[in-house]
Amino acid sequence: MAEPSVATRGQKIAHLLRELAVPVVSVMLAMGIGSVIMLVAGYDPLVAFPAMLKGAFGGGRQIGETLLRATPLMFTGLAVAYGFRAGLFNIGAEGQLFLGGLSAAWLGIVLAGLPQPFNIVMMLLAGAAIGAAWAFVPALLKAKVGAHEVITTMMFTYIGRYIVSWLVTGPLKAPGQIPQTSQLPPESTLPRMHDLFGFLAVSRVHLGFVIGVLVAMLLWWVLKYTTLGYEARAVGLNPWASETGGISVPSTTIKALCISGALAGLAGVTEVMGVHYRLHDQFSAGFGFTGIAVALLAKNNPLGVIAAAILFGALSAGAGTMQLEAFVPTKVIFIIQALIILFVAAEQLARWIIGRTRRVGVEHAS
Amino acid sequence: MLADILAPDLFASAIRMATPLALAAIGGTICERSGVVNIALEGMMLFGAFMGVIGAMFTGSAWFGVLTALVAGMSLALVHAFASVTLRTDQVVSGTAINILATGLTGFLMEVIFGHPGTTDSVARLRPVFSINGPTEGMLGTVWRWIDLVALSHTPLVYLAIILAIGGHWALFNTRWGLRLRALGEHPRAADTVGISVVRGRYSAVLTSGALAGLAGANLTLEQVGSFTEGMTNARGFIALAANIFGRWTPGGSYGASLLFGFADALQIKLQLFREVIRVPSQFFLMVPYVLTVIVLAGVVGRAVAPAAIGKPYVKG
Repeated sequence: MAEPSVATRGQKIAHLLRELAVPVVSVMLAMGIGSVIMLVAGYDPLVAFPAMLKGAFGGGRQIGETLLRATPLMFTGLAVAYGFRAGLFNIGAEGQLFLGGLSAAWLGIVLAGLPQPFNIVMMLLAGAAIGAAWAFVPALLKAKVGAHEVITTMMFTYIGRYIVSWLVTGPLKAPGQIPQTSQLPPESTLPRMHDLFGFLAVSRVHLGFVIGVLVAMLLWWVLKYTTLGYEARAVGLNPWASETGGISVPSTTIKALCISGALAGLAGVTEVMGVHYRLHDQFSAGFGFTGIAVALLAKNNPLGVIAAAILFGALSAGAGTMQLEAFVPTKVIFIIQALIILFVAAEQLARWIIGRTRRVGVEHAS
Repeated sequence: MLADILAPDLFASAIRMATPLALAAIGGTICERSGVVNIALEGMMLFGAFMGVIGAMFTGSAWFGVLTALVAGMSLALVHAFASVTLRTDQVVSGTAINILATGLTGFLMEVIFGHPGTTDSVARLRPVFSINGPTEGMLGTVWRWIDLVALSHTPLVYLAIILAIGGHWALFNTRWGLRLRALGEHPRAADTVGISVVRGRYSAVLTSGALAGLAGANLTLEQVGSFTEGMTNARGFIALAANIFGRWTPGGSYGASLLFGFADALQIKLQLFREVIRVPSQFFLMVPYVLTVIVLAGVVGRAVAPAAIGKPYVKG
């Protein structure tokens, strides 16, 4: 709708480049400031960043690790992005992810002995359903009384984490000292990519990555071509006009936040089925929160989420090597993440800097 | 058992637990009254808590720690003000970035300074303000025990929160400062027309909220615990925002709502001591403040009216 129908190929490319400029510049600025912070703290960014690059893309195994870490971020990124498109901020993807992981850890044991494709489908569906259910109360409160979803979904994250903590230390605890559930049988896990495709290098990346890409494409299609997606976008752009145009804002809000929750639930499912094969209460490294950065960097475009998730996956995969070779604490990637969000969100920053330099220039001239 | 639960120490603990929420909630009230949403209270509190420990550690003075906590909160608030007022960035997004930044900065600096993740060394704490010896015998002794524990046993920032709640509440509705602040959030164009600088007003409101959130962090580390643990704020910044809403964007109401959350927290801690009698897993006690927050929001929000211009960047024109 936004593009003029008579746009030439050249105009389209120029448009795409303009769209890409802000994210690319933002990432570079964030890394630049990250380097300054490293220097001040006494580390060498010229050792750190090459080490990070090596850890993320240095070989088949490293690339696999990057894609592995991109997988949950793709799902949480899609979750947050879909919410944003409907004008909702699902800051609680982390909680929905925990519930999704919980459902997989439980259902995977129940379905033991059944064929693997069936189990995979069932566990994905169940995880999506419980993720949606975990978003439902905040969605309902948002739609009916206007309770801000930022606070309610955040509260539900804590409630969900305590429920998981209780289950893995109590009712669902596997025998032994460690608070975790029993290991899933092989038929309830996602196969690794190199087992499916022999020509791929041996790495930990699993089928979940491909599922994530397919879900991203599906979501892109839903947003662009379906009534469901159209209504979500319309409400996100202008709830009052949508209401006047005959779209029910409350029902669209509930649907959108539940779909967002379902996507975040899938992140928990694929982590349990593809990486840990069981649930313990530390199984997420804040994927729900990193999903916010992923969505913003992608400008809430589902296809952009794939690329943004791979970037953050690479940061995460490379951080370990960076710590080993340059001794920089891995937490620096959270600082870089926050800066990326700030720069992407502050598109005005570029204009502000340009305005400043112009003004200074004028003063010098006069 | 009921008498054991409803003892003076429960109410003293409720007031202590309410303090970080109240300081941040009053900060949130001031910020949102000026028309700027501040979901970064969480991050400002976390950074304040950490920098408070650092300040106290390097100087040996808990009071200096309070000062560094305040400055730390304000420094993140400056980022929020610059992003949301000057650059007109989405305020919720800017707040989120600051929360993630605070998590990253505290985790990073922790490893740089202490060489390990997790918890810092312990530092000197602020002492209770009063230390009065009262009667200990008989009826008078019981009465005194209540007064002493509930009202006189607290550390300085606990009293500061109460003073700010009362003073701030009065000032918001009875002074020029209060009128101007409310005008910024209700009708910035009108404020601008009569010569109030929207930009300056909003900057000072955001910075004040950062200072108060920093003090809330100082209360956690320099009064309550004595050390910093990563992520120790545990969404208190978000609960404080809910308290601000429940308190209808007033300092007094924010304090009252914080007291409710503080009491719930104190009660769940106390009830955990009776685990032999009340056979419920501890996680369900720990959930209480979060569940209560949702219930409170669900019940009150429809009737609470936010400042009209909240969340909207102001474009002079």
